[in-house]
Amino acid sequence: MTSTAGTTESVGHFAARARTWIEDNLPTWDDEPVDDRTLQNRIYDAGFGGIAFPVDHGGAGLTLAHQRAFYDCTDELGRQVPRQYWVSIGMVAPLLLERGSEAQKREFLPQLLRGDIIMIQLLSEPRGGSDLAGATTRLTRTGDHYVLSGSKMWSTNAYIADYGICLARSNWSVPKHRGLSLVIVPLKDDPGVSVHRTRMADGELGDVCEEFFDDVVLPRENLIGDEDDGWAVVQSLMVHERNQTADIGYGRLGAGGRSTTMVVDRTAEATQLAAVARERAALDLHNQAVADAYIDSVVTRLTGDRIIRGLALGTHQGPWGSLGKLRGSEDGHRVARTRLAVLGADGVTWDGDDVQPDNAGTAWLTARIATIGGGTSEIQRNIISERLLGLPREPSFDRDVPFEEVLRNARRRG
Amino acid sequence: MHLELTDEQRSFRDTARRFIESRTPLTTVRDLYDEPDGFDRGWWREAARLGWTSLFVPETHGGGTLSGRAVTDAVVLAEEIGRLVSPGPVLPVNVVAAALAWSGGGDRGTALLPALAAGEAIAGWAFAEPGDRWTPDALETVAVIDDGGVTVEGEKAYVEAAGVADHLLVTARGDGGLTQVLVPADAPGVTVLRGRSVDMTRRYGRVRLTGVRLPVEAVVGQPGRAADVVERQLALALALQCAEMVGLAERAMETTVEYGRDRIAFGRPIVSFQVLKHRLADMAVHLEGMKAVTEELAASIDGKSAETSRLASIAKAYVGRHCLEIVDDCVQITGGMGVTWEHDLHLYNRRAAVDRAMWGTPELHRRRLLDLLADGGRL
Ligand SMILES: Cc1cc2nc3c(=O)[nH]c(=O)nc-3n(C[C@H](O)[C@H](O)[C@H](O)COP(=O)(O)OP(=O)(O)OC[C@H]3O[C@@H](n4cnc5c(N)ncnc54)[C@H](O)[C@@H]3O)c2cc1C
Repeated sequence: MTSTAGTTESVGHFAARARTWIEDNLPTWDDEPVDDRTLQNRIYDAGFGGIAFPVDHGGAGLTLAHQRAFYDCTDELGRQVPRQYWVSIGMVAPLLLERGSEAQKREFLPQLLRGDIIMIQLLSEPRGGSDLAGATTRLTRTGDHYVLSGSKMWSTNAYIADYGICLARSNWSVPKHRGLSLVIVPLKDDPGVSVHRTRMADGELGDVCEEFFDDVVLPRENLIGDEDDGWAVVQSLMVHERNQTADIGYGRLGAGGRSTTMVVDRTAEATQLAAVARERAALDLHNQAVADAYIDSVVTRLTGDRIIRGLALGTHQGPWGSLGKLRGSEDGHRVARTRLAVLGADGVTWDGDDVQPDNAGTAWLTARIATIGGGTSEIQRNIISERLLGLPREPSFDRDVPFEEVLRNARRRG
Repeated sequence: MHLELTDEQRSFRDTARRFIESRTPLTTVRDLYDEPDGFDRGWWREAARLGWTSLFVPETHGGGTLSGRAVTDAVVLAEEIGRLVSPGPVLPVNVVAAALAWSGGGDRGTALLPALAAGEAIAGWAFAEPGDRWTPDALETVAVIDDGGVTVEGEKAYVEAAGVADHLLVTARGDGGLTQVLVPADAPGVTVLRGRSVDMTRRYGRVRLTGVRLPVEAVVGQPGRAADVVERQLALALALQCAEMVGLAERAMETTVEYGRDRIAFGRPIVSFQVLKHRLADMAVHLEGMKAVTEELAASIDGKSAETSRLASIAKAYVGRHCLEIVDDCVQITGGMGVTWEHDLHLYNRRAAVDRAMWGTPELHRRRLLDLLADGGRL
């Protein structure tokens, strides 16, 4: 990915060369749509595929800045770019480059970069996605091969993919992070693999899929990194995934892949909304904030009335005062903040030397008193969630333990 | 939502809940998307037999309240509608029935009441106008009375159940002030453009009135003098909508908490994580506030309080904002499942988004509240 200083083409020079090629070779979005693979082949064969990947592995040997220049140009000129490679080229290819074996790099990287194959990630499971290391898909070694069984979920683009990189549990008798392995799984033409697209909340079939693996046999060479070392390897994949979403990684492949990145130019959208907002006079944020602060104070009073009635009737039991306290104290803070905002400079200055009573600035200095004193808002939220909503307590380290140990242990935990 | 329910209210609520659970459970709500009206008229007649349409209809015309306080009764129903995202034109039919009963006079209007109560006729309230206009002073539709007749001219938008309604209560500018006219949907000059919303079953449409000429008996109440009753109708619509949002938010939160107790990550139920607990605690604070303000609004309309308009805007601004935020938080807490078709949350999110917008956004009501405050008086 790095290139010896001095031999790298300057970004400016590259951009000029790219622009000429793009103008001559890529259709605009108004032209007949060209399929993704044809487009990617064309880009790659002209030397603009895998721009930031090393030449040895089929890339152009340049940098992410060059890649950015190329796709800024396709965006600016409104040219078609493929939409389906952002996982494959943006996340999986750099992982293979960093963690794959020489054989894997040779076999897969050029094909991935040229768009001839697609490889996606199989990490999340129906059981959960946040706690990735809790994966329960099973990878069992038998002789010189592995057997995979279990299911994965939310795998973007699995329905068009040739391969997936799967995180699976290879060792159940060690702590969770130490028994995982990462393995390449062919997704087409294996009777043990089934892939189903997930229907999303808008009613449309999504790009995400759920897969079932029924005793799928895999050669040992498909392992990425060492057996049971999958957690370390997958970290690198997640770095690329986050870079992709932030639009700063290898997957920054132009506006064609826009649907997946959160970083987009919102000027047009904002301009349109601003026009409507002005027409409807809803743009006046001060008015909105003043009204909200007042509305909250009315609702706080009504909530208090309701709680008093409820406690008397028995419909409300437990520490409802915490709910009222949280409301009321946060209201006070909100009002203080609103006064600062609405009054502006006049709220924090006055004529003469004597502090002007009731000025917004001075009031602001103590606005947090009520949200701290009498038990902070955080502690009230603990009480509400545990004692009104019945949610589980936080684990605590200070129960049924001699106090001197509590203090010693706490220091060690920090 | 009500802390105290009368026996009649309790059985009304339980019957409604059972009826919704058995006839239009959430699984069928998805299928109703394909129905042009979003509900079946035979089903609506059955709902009417359970009292869904008769609370505002005087006993002499086949209706009656449960507790003597019709709005307080009606929000019990609206809350149940919200809990299970039920279909049905509960809001427009009840608001139009209330308008006809409250306005007095107008033979045509009172004649319609028994049919509304029986679920035989469906009425829509053609109030708002294109451009998201929801305040009486922004209306441009006119109703002119001359030679024993009334002529209505204008365009209405966001009319719930417009496509299926047999009658439309049109709120217009008349000589001396607001005038309301009961317009048969098939009267010459009436064009109804059916529309859809992001909600699965709730349909809205546009109504064009071009030189609609009706006998003067079609005027509801005193011509030019409808401002007060229109304010009350608006407050009622908002009360029903807020109660629906209370039901939506409460049920979404219940199912999310249930889900989060069973969902294990890092060796614990996800709702044991402090960030989620705090989020849920804030949601509980707002849910309680939503209930308190909606209950107060209903009582205020029943009691003909002078504070009703202000309270209505306070309620909508507060409930409209927090209902959507609560449902949105539920989606986040549910993780990936929360954005799938299979999970019910999107049904709640759809209704919450529509409710936030209809009858004025929280933004509009904050503004209206400030105008009302600036015009004097405190709550
Ligand atoms: C459109 C889309 C595309 C995706 N693409 C892929 C893909 O290509 N490959 C792939 O493997 N996965 C993919 N995912 C899965 C995604 O990574 C998971 O949905 C995500 O990690 C959350 O997991 P979950 O849905 O199981 O929620 P859960 O893990 O069940 O989380 C539920 C809630 O609990 C909270 N929570 C969990 N643990 C904690 C904690 N310790 N502290 C506080 N809160 C906590 C979460 O924040 C969340 O609010 C995709 C998901 C979507 C929606």
